[in-house]
Amino acid sequence: MWATLVSAIAFGVVLASIIAIAAMGFTIQFGLTNVLNLSFGSIMTVGAFAAYLGLEQGINAWYGLVVGGLTGAVVTLVLGRGVFRLYARRGAKLFEMMMVTLGLGLVIDYTVQAISRNNVYQFTVLQAAPLRFGPIIVTPTQLIVIALGAAIFLALEGLLRFSRIGKALRAMAAEPSLARSCGIRTGQVVIVTWLLSGFLCGLAGVVYIINSQSVGYTTGQDFLPLVVAAAILGGVGSPGGAAAAALLMGVVTQVVAAFGSAEYSTVAGFGILVVVLLTRPSSVLSRGSAETRLTI
Amino acid sequence: MRIAITKQLAIAAAVGLVITGCAATGGNGAGGSGKAPLTIAGVVAITGSSSFEGQNQAGGILPAIYAIDHQGGVLGHQIVYKGVDTRADPADALPAMQQAMATTNNIVLVAGPDTASAPALVPILNQAKIPMTAVAGESVYNHNTLPYFWRLFPPDSANGTAMMLWAQRKGYTRIATVFGTDSGSQGDLPGVLASIKALHATLVANVSLTPDQPSYLSSVRQVMAAHPQVIMTESDATTAGTFFGELKQLGGLVPIIGTEATFTAPWLKAVHGALGSSFQKYYTGLITAPSKTTPAVTAYEKAVTADKSQVPSPWQSYLSNPFSITYWDGVMVVALAMVAAHSVSPAVFNSYIPKVANPGPGKTIVYTYAQGVAALKAGKQIQYFGATGLINFNQYHNSFGNQEAVGSNGGSQPVSLGTVTAKEIEAVSVSGVQ
Amino acid sequence: MSAWSFYISTLVVYFGVDLLSGISLNLQYGYAGVINFGYIIFQAVGAYAAAVVTLGPSGGAASFQQYVFGANLPFPLPLLVAAAAGAVLAAVVGAFSMRRMRRDYQAAVLLIVSLIAIQVVEADVPLFNGSNGLTGVPRPLLWLPLSLQGYQWAYAAWVLALGGAVYLLVRWLSHSPWGRALRAMRDQEDAATALGLNITAMRMQVFIIGGAIAGLSGGLLVEYIGAWSPDAWGYAETFVIFTAIFVGGVGNYRGVLLGVLLVPIIFLELPRFLPQIGYPGLTDSLEWIVIGLLWMLCLLLRPRGLLPERRFLARPEPTRDSA
Repeated sequence: MWATLVSAIAFGVVLASIIAIAAMGFTIQFGLTNVLNLSFGSIMTVGAFAAYLGLEQGINAWYGLVVGGLTGAVVTLVLGRGVFRLYARRGAKLFEMMMVTLGLGLVIDYTVQAISRNNVYQFTVLQAAPLRFGPIIVTPTQLIVIALGAAIFLALEGLLRFSRIGKALRAMAAEPSLARSCGIRTGQVVIVTWLLSGFLCGLAGVVYIINSQSVGYTTGQDFLPLVVAAAILGGVGSPGGAAAAALLMGVVTQVVAAFGSAEYSTVAGFGILVVVLLTRPSSVLSRGSAETRLTI
Repeated sequence: MRIAITKQLAIAAAVGLVITGCAATGGNGAGGSGKAPLTIAGVVAITGSSSFEGQNQAGGILPAIYAIDHQGGVLGHQIVYKGVDTRADPADALPAMQQAMATTNNIVLVAGPDTASAPALVPILNQAKIPMTAVAGESVYNHNTLPYFWRLFPPDSANGTAMMLWAQRKGYTRIATVFGTDSGSQGDLPGVLASIKALHATLVANVSLTPDQPSYLSSVRQVMAAHPQVIMTESDATTAGTFFGELKQLGGLVPIIGTEATFTAPWLKAVHGALGSSFQKYYTGLITAPSKTTPAVTAYEKAVTADKSQVPSPWQSYLSNPFSITYWDGVMVVALAMVAAHSVSPAVFNSYIPKVANPGPGKTIVYTYAQGVAALKAGKQIQYFGATGLINFNQYHNSFGNQEAVGSNGGSQPVSLGTVTAKEIEAVSVSGVQ
Repeated sequence: MSAWSFYISTLVVYFGVDLLSGISLNLQYGYAGVINFGYIIFQAVGAYAAAVVTLGPSGGAASFQQYVFGANLPFPLPLLVAAAAGAVLAAVVGAFSMRRMRRDYQAAVLLIVSLIAIQVVEADVPLFNGSNGLTGVPRPLLWLPLSLQGYQWAYAAWVLALGGAVYLLVRWLSHSPWGRALRAMRDQEDAATALGLNITAMRMQVFIIGGAIAGLSGGLLVEYIGAWSPDAWGYAETFVIFTAIFVGGVGNYRGVLLGVLLVPIIFLELPRFLPQIGYPGLTDSLEWIVIGLLWMLCLLLRPRGLLPERRFLARPEPTRDSA
């Protein structure tokens, strides 16, 4: 009983780390630009495929993470400055922009499908014998995933709290017009946001495929709802909130799978969002429906 | 604005007509002898999450068409293949099939429909008098009475019973089932569960996996905690790769018995990738028994090799793919039925399908299309002995043979481990599956 | 020619069903600003409801399909049940998703709700037979003295008639004072609140009406196809209808008519006539890429669709579009 619970919680932390990396990227992007980017999952797939191609060429998994992250950063920046800004200049508002990202996601996903011939590719990296800590069994890969999640969380918090650019980013997310009049170079901050969130997006894609040991064109798309749910649950714009929400969802998912039926586990993960919306909507929807502008 | 709408519609309609016209005339050019080509429509999921259906099918049908066309076709007609994509969804399958029927008036065989689209398509195909070799394992069709429905695949319950019989033979009594929640896997689960019950084994864990999740760790642990002697399984390749990879990493690997659907290249590759060298030791699949080396098998292998540039890659995987081989036999039987009936009209040749396949006194056994044509020309009655082995349609238009337990080294070449005969399977009375 | 007749009559049925979907989404989005990314679950619940009350009592776990609420209701009661099921589900979902929140949040929440619904149906086999879905749903009024082809067209006419009736009803509703209040709410939420309109209640009403129409469309579809499974209600289906109303023109019912004709019928059927290129499935990928690009192009060049909503001159609008 206890053993089952403890190990389910441990597995939950593994899952949470994967969700958290993506959710932190998503929430920074959404918090600053106000673009609810439904192509985020597709860009994860692109990052994952880039890393996979690298792994196939024989680079090691650590470089794979960098390759995936950089790919995500570049693609996101190009799309942000190229595509999204074009629409914003023509007067697209929040939900129209979300529609744009939806169409964009479709284009990216099916381009990847066309190129990958609808195949799912398997590979083996970073496999080693499992370690036992009492009732908990984990693999070194899973430990690496947890450590990565924690490290990224700390680095991000540090960046936002203590660096100049981080402070500027937070100021802009809170009050863009005020930030501009205070002399913050908003253009630069936006570029940094695209790059940073894109890097986390690509990185999350690679972590995901290292854990599942396979990559296909739906990899990111399948994962996106969990990411969006964690970002909304954690309060948009707050990496700490996203990480906490990811932790909650990850643990609940695995505990339900361990004690109830596995097929309801993801339902339970999403269910948290619905329950919170029902009971304490204000905690989730910290910002009202007042006109929020795109910052691109 | 009304004018604009009309104009757009007119353009769209015109484009449609032109394209249809092109397709129709383009098709006519293929025939060498001047007779209009005949169409075999492959009605399965070609895209989407079940797209492996389309690959399995193309891997068997395209070589069959190649072989027949290189023997001069059927009664002077060449054969062409037309893919009709069901996307594993009846709502998509219906207009797709009707569109194919509207634009092609010479469909002599539907290879399909698949499990998902059968309920919507079987009645309309039967109504249109188009013979079909269904891939639908539903037990509803075990007692089919529709004249144009034929099935060479075993019903799902037969495969499940064979898996349990094999487990029994190996002395396993504690069984865990691990099935995806996708429709293909769920379709095969009831047969497995009912057979476990019928053969008095213990079901220690029944785990369902939502496909494509990043991790199944808790499910893995649930299975491990139940201490099964064997895991019976089916799911899509990605899900299986993740689940069994995690099972191995946590040190919980036990023998795995897979359904026929696991013996396909993507699944084998995924799980082999996850398990590495342990794969060969732990995996057994129960599949439609490949026939021993007969001229039928040689002909099949030759045709796949000759047509390798046309079939989806990797072409080698079809040499032993039980689905592809069954499709091949379906095409051969129908082609020979047409020759025997001296007609390409389904209403005429449909009743010849069992006549050229079922065994009977005084019949000449043939293994290839060419042999069959020659024997029929000589005025003989024939029995086509397929690449899958004996074909014997019962009164319900079902034919299925022995099941074979096979291992794999990760490639799709089966390594035979033993046979479960059709007789043994029929002797187990399975309840709970209609 | 009879094969063509079958094909075209099926397309007419689909057109009618998609038209109902388009009307429902246009009412919700075009008039009340609710982006219902979970649309498909309301159609699905209607389809399931109509199916189970037509199929007769369930044989339980021993039969080849299991479901709840099995009954043998005569035509046209199953359709009413379908519409009611859509409305009830909309009331339940609306209870938490129609609160005041940013529209894009709301859309994301509805999308997540639809994913939950699919997973619940797949996981809970006794409910609606899991991912194998329900099959063998009989077509209504088969005793009518009609040839098969005649029946096809009769069904098509019936769907079109229902589609037309709902079309007129909803158009009338949206030109009523209630409809004007809706648009006021969509465009100037704060002003509408100041005028004393109860925003949440109005959103809820729209959501429930939309849900009922969706349920009806599902019922019509399942009685025609005879089968319904989770494969039939992926989230892409919602996207197709959204594309249709975006192409046609949001907030304009003639635009919806045009969009539904162009997108789900012509765009999606046309590729079937194209010769296949490359490996099997390539055509399909390319089709979706083209749809995605068209969608983005449409948002860029004609964000209000081919037939935009007509503006009421009485209402001045200073800066709404420059946001």
